[in-house]
Parts: sequence; structure tokens; C-alpha cells
Amino acid sequence: MALTPPRDSLKRLCSCALLTAIALTIFMVEAQIPLPIAIPGIKLGLSNIITVYAVFVLSPREGGMILFARVFLGAVFSGQMSTLLYSGGGGLLSIFVLILLSKLLSKQELWLASPIAAFFHNLGQLCVAALVMQTPVVFAYLPYLTVAAVVSGLFTGLCVQYVVGRLPEI
Amino acid sequence: MKKNVIIVVLAVIFFTSLGAVINRTLWARGGQVDGVRITVEGKIVYEIDFLTDSLPKTLEIQGKNGIESTVVVEDGRVHVAHANCPDQICVNQGWIVDSAMPIVCLPGEIIIEMIGGDANGLDTATG
Repeated sequence: MALTPPRDSLKRLCSCALLTAIALTIFMVEAQIPLPIAIPGIKLGLSNIITVYAVFVLSPREGGMILFARVFLGAVFSGQMSTLLYSGGGGLLSIFVLILLSKLLSKQELWLASPIAAFFHNLGQLCVAALVMQTPVVFAYLPYLTVAAVVSGLFTGLCVQYVVGRLPEI
Repeated sequence: MKKNVIIVVLAVIFFTSLGAVINRTLWARGGQVDGVRITVEGKIVYEIDFLTDSLPKTLEIQGKNGIESTVVVEDGRVHVAHANCPDQICVNQGWIVDSAMPIVCLPGEIIIEMIGGDANGLDTATG
């Protein structure tokens, strides 16, 4: 990596910055859409289209950086810093699983990675919540969140699949 | 080949959870609840018994991070009437009547759950 020519590394930096900006925009727009389901933690997670795209098309390292930049800036912009711990915990577990899956799955199968990562995101979030609250009661939400994770994960996964199919390599 | 394996695993996780959701929702509704327990930062602040306490009851809860909420307990059900937080998830959750889904406020570290009977916390899931 140290021997990468400057032009190439500049290009990478630009793509990372651009993807982070796109992810953050999607995240902020999605936060304004009210969901009819009153179960905490359930959302479409559309900004993860960018995360999965970055991990598979750019590199796992850059995908991780984009995810954490978006999670942190998302908390800052939405003014909910207290949720940072939970989204950080979920993000850490899900990016780990996602990077593992990027080694296992080909680019034609990457739509499958999204629901699995979504499930682990919820699991990580609940683990942090259980540690913070010092009670396993929060795991009562796990089945509800898992059903939602598979449905919304498949949706975002298919979105990534179409994006990868249409967008030329960056 | 490995694609099929992942699809199968995903389907199993999905249908197991779907089954758990249906089971919990149906089973817990039939279960007996005796009261409501409210926990803040890991400490029990209120325990209300549906039989012995006078109802309806309105409680002011002081959570972490300056979060305050108004909880209304009626016979057999509980809800958060008001909360001073921006997301209002607990308020939108409405009345809960069983232990299938407790009301959890993450920033305020407040947990409102049904107790007693056969339906107590996580035990419902295994029932």
C-alpha cells in the first residue's frame, strides 16, 4: 500500500469521501421518513447499500472507514449522540461479518451478504444494550428484529446487486 | 453451491424468528400478568401489582441523560403517555399488555416490563 502512486491514492480518497457523503445523505433522508411499525430498532437501513458496495467493490478497509464515518457523522447531524454506542456496537459486529462474507461470496452473490450483516448489526446492538442496561430483557426484541433484518436486508442487498451491475468500476 | 447453503441458513433464521414472534405474541397474550416493573439504570424504581395497588396510576420517571417520562399504569396494561426525548419511540409503542415486548428506552436506560404469572421476561420465549 505504501508504494501506491499518489494519483491512485487520491482517487481512492475521493471515492471514499464521495461514498461517505452519499451514505450520510441517504441516512439523513431516511431518518425523516416515519415508519408505521412501532418497534424500536427497526429501519430500512438504506445507507448500508453504500457500506456493502464499498466493502465488495473498493476494499474491506475502506468499507469499514466509510461505515464508521457515516455512523459518527449521522449521530452528530441527527443530534442523538447517545445512540452512538449502540450503532457503533452493531456496526462493528456487522462490518466484521460483512468483511468475512466478502471473502466467501462472489460479486454475483453479494445480495446475500446484506441480510446476514443486518442480522449481526441487530445482535451487536442488543449486546451493547444488554451490557449498558445490565439485563437480558432487551433480547426479547431479537425475533422481531431478525424478521425485520432479513426483509430489509434482502431489499438493500438487491439494491446493491443492481448498483454493482450498472455502475462501472470506480 | 455455497450460495444455496447461505440461502438455507438465512431461511432457517427467518422462519425460526417468525415462529418465535408468532408464538410469543399468541402465547404471551394468553399468559397471566400480575403487574408492572419499571427499572432505571439497572435499579427497580417501581413495582406495581394489578391486584393490590390502586389504579390507574400515573408515574413520573427520571431516566439517565435528563430523560423524563410519564408512565400510565391501568389494570392489565401500561404505556408511556409523554417523554421529553426527540424520537418518541416509547410513546409510539402504545399500550403493552404482555411481556412479549417490553418498553425499553435506550438513552434513558428505562425498562418497563410486565411481570408475574407464567409470562415473565425472557421465559416467555422458551415457553
